[in-house]
Amino acid sequence: MSGEAHAIGHHGELIQGVFEDDEGYLHRGLVTLPLHNLRSTVHFVLDDSKNLTVEPPDRAKALRSAHLALAQLGHPAAGGHLSVRSDIPIGHGYGSSTADVVASIRAVAAALGTRLPPSSISRLAVAAETAADATGFETEALLFAQREGEVLEHFGGSLPPFILLGFKADGSSIINTLDLPPARYDLEEIQQFRVLRGMLARAVQHQDPHLLGRAATLSACISQRHFPKPGFDLVTDIADRHEALGLQVAHSGTLYGLLLDAQSSSVAQSVRAISTELENAGFQDIGAFPINGAGGFHVR
Amino acid sequence: MSVEVDFFRALERPRLAGLGPNIVAAAFPLMKLMPARFILDQAEKSGELEPGARIIETTSGTFGMAIALLAAARSYRLTLVTATTLIDAPYKSRLERLGANVVVLKDEKGDGTQAGRLAYLRQSMEDEPGTFWTHQYDNPGNWLSYARLAELFVRAMGQIDWLVGCIGTGGSLCGTGTFLRQLYPHLKIAAVDTHHSVLFGHPVGKRMLRGLGNSVIPANVRHHLVDEVHWVGAYAAYHFAHALLRHHGIFMGPTSGAAGLVGSWIARVHPAATVAVIMPDEGFRHADTVYNERWLASLPGWPCEAVQEPETLSVIAPREEWEWTRFEWGRAQLADVNKPSYGTD
Repeated sequence: MSGEAHAIGHHGELIQGVFEDDEGYLHRGLVTLPLHNLRSTVHFVLDDSKNLTVEPPDRAKALRSAHLALAQLGHPAAGGHLSVRSDIPIGHGYGSSTADVVASIRAVAAALGTRLPPSSISRLAVAAETAADATGFETEALLFAQREGEVLEHFGGSLPPFILLGFKADGSSIINTLDLPPARYDLEEIQQFRVLRGMLARAVQHQDPHLLGRAATLSACISQRHFPKPGFDLVTDIADRHEALGLQVAHSGTLYGLLLDAQSSSVAQSVRAISTELENAGFQDIGAFPINGAGGFHVR
Repeated sequence: MSVEVDFFRALERPRLAGLGPNIVAAAFPLMKLMPARFILDQAEKSGELEPGARIIETTSGTFGMAIALLAAARSYRLTLVTATTLIDAPYKSRLERLGANVVVLKDEKGDGTQAGRLAYLRQSMEDEPGTFWTHQYDNPGNWLSYARLAELFVRAMGQIDWLVGCIGTGGSLCGTGTFLRQLYPHLKIAAVDTHHSVLFGHPVGKRMLRGLGNSVIPANVRHHLVDEVHWVGAYAAYHFAHALLRHHGIFMGPTSGAAGLVGSWIARVHPAATVAVIMPDEGFRHADTVYNERWLASLPGWPCEAVQEPETLSVIAPREEWEWTRFEWGRAQLADVNKPSYGTD
């Protein structure tokens, strides 16, 4: 028996911080920016070997998640082979490892002729890699507690459409998410996160990319105090001068993203002008992506 | 709809009322529950407030009521220090019914004897170590707690151009304003004060509109956040409180009337802007006064016309209780603003 499944990557987070649950307890949480263009595909074949193997062999988290998924589905001793093919770059905050893990869990379920709901996938993903993104929920916008795999708030839809211009400060530095010490936010920041969460909810409910951009920018500024990224001031200056809707970052990676107004008639010119500036300033891997149907835009 | 873990979390939430096409008011049953709960929660977490300890504060206003409700529910002892001029018998007995020890100091000068109340408080803390002073004037927990209000406004309104609110300790307006302005840098903030309050440069005097303004300047008042100041007299505030009830079914205290008056005018003058107004407490406490015709008729100069717009001042000075004035504060510090000469006494 075999199964194949895929999972998408993301472009870091729109907001990340500490948030209250319904009982008043604080959790680390985030809202990811899903990216359809990047995906991990996993093919899984069940066999009688009682051994579980993975290709490429360094995908230990994918292997662990397959074990967990088999156990969850009642086949703890089953053997088989996972082959992982991914076009998601590793170590920049694109969520490559969660995508591998989620695609593996889905492939295992498919091989057993079943499907798991996003909530189960997320909990298995956290069990496999300590902290996971909300990749199991695809493009549903939600506030996700990445260390527990629990949803703190469903925003009730997808993110509003916009053009994302993504780039990296330094293409060579690779970050293992779990090596970063968690940020120690102060009380004012924790209170500000409340307001950011409210703004995300409003942006999704009213499909307002302007509010989304504002919330992302403030979250990026708070992140900068804890995990400084090179070139931050330069990027905020470019965002201001070109009237970007906002700026987002991969809080545990090297990615930057500028949110641009897809409704603006000059968005294509803005993308070209900003890209040239970024290139001249030494930023790398510059690319534009239409998000959630911000269509009609040609990716150069 | 889910049940809150703690009823106070529900009770501290305002109801939102659209007073017009571009103005939303947050009408609180008892706004001070928001900072009171936050301050107690933080003090419990840090260990500063131990189970069964005594809490002390120098207030007889709505913060006192909020702390009294919380202290009773959470089994703390409570001392509230007030003055003869600041508290009436029914309010005192409501606080005492909740288990509070209400200490009423003599106030011969009629200025609320802030210094006398503080001296009493400090002595009590010395006499009973482990006593926790909520310190609403200077405790950063006061303004920090209002992130919850900022969140509610953001969820309900999206875009916010003006924030209008009363100022007494500075917690609600400066707290909400601090959080909102980080997201809306262009946000304008209008502070609603009353005649004879020292907060924005009036000489100290007897304030007829209780619960608004102050006779001292708390650290939580951040003058540099404020774009314009409105001084609303007691009668102007009463008129608008009556109007809120008649036109919207909103039964609030007179300080809420003052905030509504200013907010509605700003919304009228700036029809393209969206205005958020903070209304701090309900009208029940004022049923026998502000909402009682006989009590109103006993006031000197009442009835009077309801004033429709503020007079813009060039020199800051108090006026009569029916009057409403305004000053372009321009995010200044208190010391920067050109104050009038008050004379020598």
